[in-house]
Amino acid sequence: MIFYGRSVVGCAALAVAALVTVSPARAQNPAALNAEAAMNDWPTYHGTYKSYHYSGLDQINAGNVKNLEVAWMHFPERATRGLQSTPLALDGVLYYSGSYSRVYALDGATGKTIWAYAPELDEELVAKQTHSPYNRGIAIGGGNLYVGTVDGRLIALDLKSGKPVWDTKLLDSKKVTVGFTGAPLVVKDMVIIGAQGGEWTGRGPIFGVDGKTGQKKWEFFTVAGTEEAMKTWGGDSWRTGGGGGWMPGTYDPETNSVWWGTANPAPLYDWSGADWKKSGPRPGDNLHTTSVIALDPDTGKLKFYHQELPHDAWDFDSSVGEFVMIERGGKKLVVHANKSGYIFVYDRSNAKVENVWPLVKNINFVKSIDPKTGELIGRRDLVEGKVDPPLCPAIAGGISWNSGAYSPKNGLFYRIGQEWCMEMTVEKTTPITEPMAQLNLGATFKIVAPPDGPARGHLSARDPVTGAKKWEVNYKQPPLASVLATAGNLVFVPDAEGIVHAYNADTGEELWSRNNGMGHNAGIISYMAGGKQYVAVPAGWGSLVADEFVALYGEPFKSMSKNTGALIVYALRQ
Amino acid sequence: MRIPLLIVAAIIWPFLSTAALAQQAANPLPQAEASPDDIEGGKMFATTCGFCHQEGGRHAGRGPKLSKSERSDEYLIERIKKGKVGAMPAYGSVFSDGQIIAILAYIRGLDD
Repeated sequence: MIFYGRSVVGCAALAVAALVTVSPARAQNPAALNAEAAMNDWPTYHGTYKSYHYSGLDQINAGNVKNLEVAWMHFPERATRGLQSTPLALDGVLYYSGSYSRVYALDGATGKTIWAYAPELDEELVAKQTHSPYNRGIAIGGGNLYVGTVDGRLIALDLKSGKPVWDTKLLDSKKVTVGFTGAPLVVKDMVIIGAQGGEWTGRGPIFGVDGKTGQKKWEFFTVAGTEEAMKTWGGDSWRTGGGGGWMPGTYDPETNSVWWGTANPAPLYDWSGADWKKSGPRPGDNLHTTSVIALDPDTGKLKFYHQELPHDAWDFDSSVGEFVMIERGGKKLVVHANKSGYIFVYDRSNAKVENVWPLVKNINFVKSIDPKTGELIGRRDLVEGKVDPPLCPAIAGGISWNSGAYSPKNGLFYRIGQEWCMEMTVEKTTPITEPMAQLNLGATFKIVAPPDGPARGHLSARDPVTGAKKWEVNYKQPPLASVLATAGNLVFVPDAEGIVHAYNADTGEELWSRNNGMGHNAGIISYMAGGKQYVAVPAGWGSLVADEFVALYGEPFKSMSKNTGALIVYALRQ
Repeated sequence: MRIPLLIVAAIIWPFLSTAALAQQAANPLPQAEASPDDIEGGKMFATTCGFCHQEGGRHAGRGPKLSKSERSDEYLIERIKKGKVGAMPAYGSVFSDGQIIAILAYIRGLDD
């Protein structure tokens, strides 16, 4: 087992700093945001800017987790497509969002509603959208709470009252079909949010908005957003679009860089085969799709980037995946999971590839990825007609959009992997170059079992830099929720069938489980209220990946509601 | 141009099959004034519908299997147009009536 003593000491010091600077009506606390561990609060989507999804609390631990029981529950209205968000906690208040961007502020100890907010959305537009009406999270800063909407707005609410402070229209969603489902990120006075869109003609903008006034300060086009990038789309093919930064990235204060992942280009699949640089619907590398990019949060200017999959022909976004900021051997690194099932390790100062390793077994879209350069070796570029053998992983990815966790206490990275492939036929379609409410795929397909066994999932505990595996737990169906690690030597995994599991973080031994009654598709957190530690788990099934489970696995998914949800909060029995 | 749905459906439906569609691509019906893309139901399906209805509609995925569907034509057309919130987008303002009929014809022509 690997321990990193320095990290433990650093974590404790930062935790103390976070505790002593708490004030009742504060904005976000920079020390808490920059800490390795989320302590009393869960201040930002990924826990802290370090993106560990790790709680430094240890009241609940491997020794007493067997006494964990439901403390309170909350049921959101209109939970269409379940619950897919990660709650935040601040000063003993829990905040979370549900479908239609409804937001709730609840007493963290009792669940009593402090306020609730329901924006009026363009329901006619919602009816036309594929990736809708779910919401995946919120941000807090400057005394406000921020939430995006599927009709293209970013809304600020007063944190104490829930009253709207400003409501800014950022996207013409009627035109481009997509809006915002991902959580915003607060960096200093700026609120940063990325648009949806991999299958659409939009240019995937990421926006910087003044947190006080709601005024748009900058907009970065992830599709052909720079002169260099424009040259990587043959002819006018940049108009086919894609590239949405649909999940939140994070912030590295040491380099003043916002790290963000971008989606695939459209159409998802093309027929150009090995000639992809010169032919097909979008010839060229298609920058900055399927890339990790570093932006200046003050100006929105691109500082540096790495395109994980040049000319992504397989729909393997870089939008999924947290940015885990770690140090190893004197080097400052960031670890990022790509939908293809590969984990990329970068130098944090310039996005230079330090290592690449596969999390999943069933990968055949490339033979390998050079761990020193990130170059794709043995690309499998598709041509019109049947794809044989089936493509691995399937469209649902080797890695889905919810996050893993990292424990600075034992140095292990906990990540869900998915093993499945896809029979497909590539169709030469007419590229869609004008915005319209129509997906742009370029193939028909069917998810199938991989060659080495049934379609399945696993949680593995690994060294985040080398990928060396310490332990693994297998699941009949891939869990689709985020993972939580805690200083109590625990790893929590909310699974697809509705069971939330707690494992020993060092060994993978299951120590506790409870049935929440419906599948999990959201983020699990821990926080403190009234001196007591709680674990909050949104339950509620219905993401687009979850939709695949009926055909793949039958029951219980065939009978599982996709229009309900509950926030279930656990605490130790008194 | 939008096609008077029921009239066109009544006229062309008995004749529509995948083979017939291919022929009509070269000789579109005068009253439809549809472009070749409009009546390429299979290509439209691969562009948009296949995201949920897998294997070209022959297999359930995010959405149900469509080949050999027992749903009526009216039901399928209504569902394509109006969708179902949280499950299927409404395509009534995206596809013309002629395109929707072409997609329906493609679905009806599917083998298992």
